[in-house]
Amino acid sequence: MKKLLGVALGILTAIGGFVDIGDLVTNAVVGSRFGMSLAWVVVLGVVGIVLFASMSGRVAAVSGRATFEIIRERLGPRAAGANLLASFAINLLTLTAEVGGIALALHLASSVEPRLWIPVAALAVWLVLWRVKFQVMENVAGLLGLLLVGFAIALFQLGPDWGELLRQAVPPSPPGTEHPASYWYYAVALFGAAMTPYEVFFFSSGAVEERWTAKDLGTNRLNVLLGFPLGGLLSLAIAACAAVVLLPAGIEVSSLSQIVLPVAQAGGVLLLAVVILGIVAATFGAALETALSSGYTLAQYLGWSWGKFRRPARAARFHLTMIVALLVAVGILMTSVDPVAVTEMSVVFSAVALPLTYVPILVVANDPAYMGRHVNGRVANALGMVYLVIVVVAAVAAIPLMIATGAGS
Amino acid sequence: MTERLVDARLHLLGRQVLDTDGEPVRTVDDLELAGPGGGEVRAGQEAHVAAVLVGPVLATRLFGGRVPDSMLPRIAWEDVGHVGTAVELTVGSDRLDADWVEHWVRERLIGRIPGGRHDPEGDG
Repeated sequence: MKKLLGVALGILTAIGGFVDIGDLVTNAVVGSRFGMSLAWVVVLGVVGIVLFASMSGRVAAVSGRATFEIIRERLGPRAAGANLLASFAINLLTLTAEVGGIALALHLASSVEPRLWIPVAALAVWLVLWRVKFQVMENVAGLLGLLLVGFAIALFQLGPDWGELLRQAVPPSPPGTEHPASYWYYAVALFGAAMTPYEVFFFSSGAVEERWTAKDLGTNRLNVLLGFPLGGLLSLAIAACAAVVLLPAGIEVSSLSQIVLPVAQAGGVLLLAVVILGIVAATFGAALETALSSGYTLAQYLGWSWGKFRRPARAARFHLTMIVALLVAVGILMTSVDPVAVTEMSVVFSAVALPLTYVPILVVANDPAYMGRHVNGRVANALGMVYLVIVVVAAVAAIPLMIATGAGS
Repeated sequence: MTERLVDARLHLLGRQVLDTDGEPVRTVDDLELAGPGGGEVRAGQEAHVAAVLVGPVLATRLFGGRVPDSMLPRIAWEDVGHVGTAVELTVGSDRLDADWVEHWVRERLIGRIPGGRHDPEGDG
């Protein structure tokens, strides 16, 4: 059990990247339109985030410096400032979507108008940020989020034609009914979500919150090797459910209730209840992750005192940042904007944030002044270089693809 | 202790400043140089780092302009104890005037919200 709780940081981080509210919808949309033909992107994304999250965790454990501190130090105030603007925008938009997502999930469970749930959800998020110990927070949100495994159970109960699912996945064969540009737009969106920068901000800062040292490098490895593949599997299970039930029926996913349709069909009310609880926990966890990341990034760029392990008064501007971010999120949601549409906009900002985040991590992970004998090995560096190329290509392609396809529609 | 070459641009600028308890204070936004005897810096003459500058000087480094001397929060170089991956001070952040914004937010806003001084690592 202790081992299991030891990887809660990795699990919670992965939930924010793979199954937060925007990804829940994207996964189901992808499954219902492209079958399993984009599964390779999830695998590619899992390997990439495992690689860079483990580097950022290793840097934090060995040197005590979290990711945005090294971004500021290596890139200087200008380039790091550009990254801060883009990353902060992604954080804020995602936080907005998650708070809205909690409200939508609670609406699904209670049929009380989502707009009434929004302030309640935001207040609950703030209370956790304000009061709850970091370890308790990650354990509860991370483990309850794992209830999304209900999607995998539903998939088995649906008894699909596994051979057909596999044929869609390898070699990837996009359905002829879809335009290639749409296919590639979703490929970039899935990859960007898997590698989204707030994961490394949260993961490395979480390592500092948990006071990791060079002795905890094993824990670091275990966290990334369990957490992110698990997130990837959940995301594939959601897509597969949609591919089995929604694709043949020609249903286009546009709301949360359609995502859980296959679950209700396969497992009835009980499994549906489990999955809805999982969705609430996952969106809540992602809200915590993005709210904390907004505080971490700004505080680390400017060098303010930060961390949930401190009394709020000893990290005053860090807590003030999170309060303001939550208030802005509630304000945006009160305009009745669709929370899921909000996350799609964040793809634009990842164009700037992705390369400017991963380059400094790779550089510092090779700096003996920070890392001593724990610098990167050759394999990590070779893979890191390959992924930098992929990240830059994805980042550059994101905006033109979004414009050309009208955000995939 | 062996002599070590410290490159101001590489090893000081943009580094995290920690107080004597390891609490973050600010990032090194700029450095104040002084000539021999604390006088003005002249080209070709020896100069040393007199203070770490933080705060509004970041905005002027990004966008140009100049901060009036009197409004420049500085941390005296005498207070710096060690330069590693972070710049470690020998004084507590509570005694630093340069950290006044944090103190203001702490006293006026965050410290006044119920639970603002609660220790999350403690019991209850």
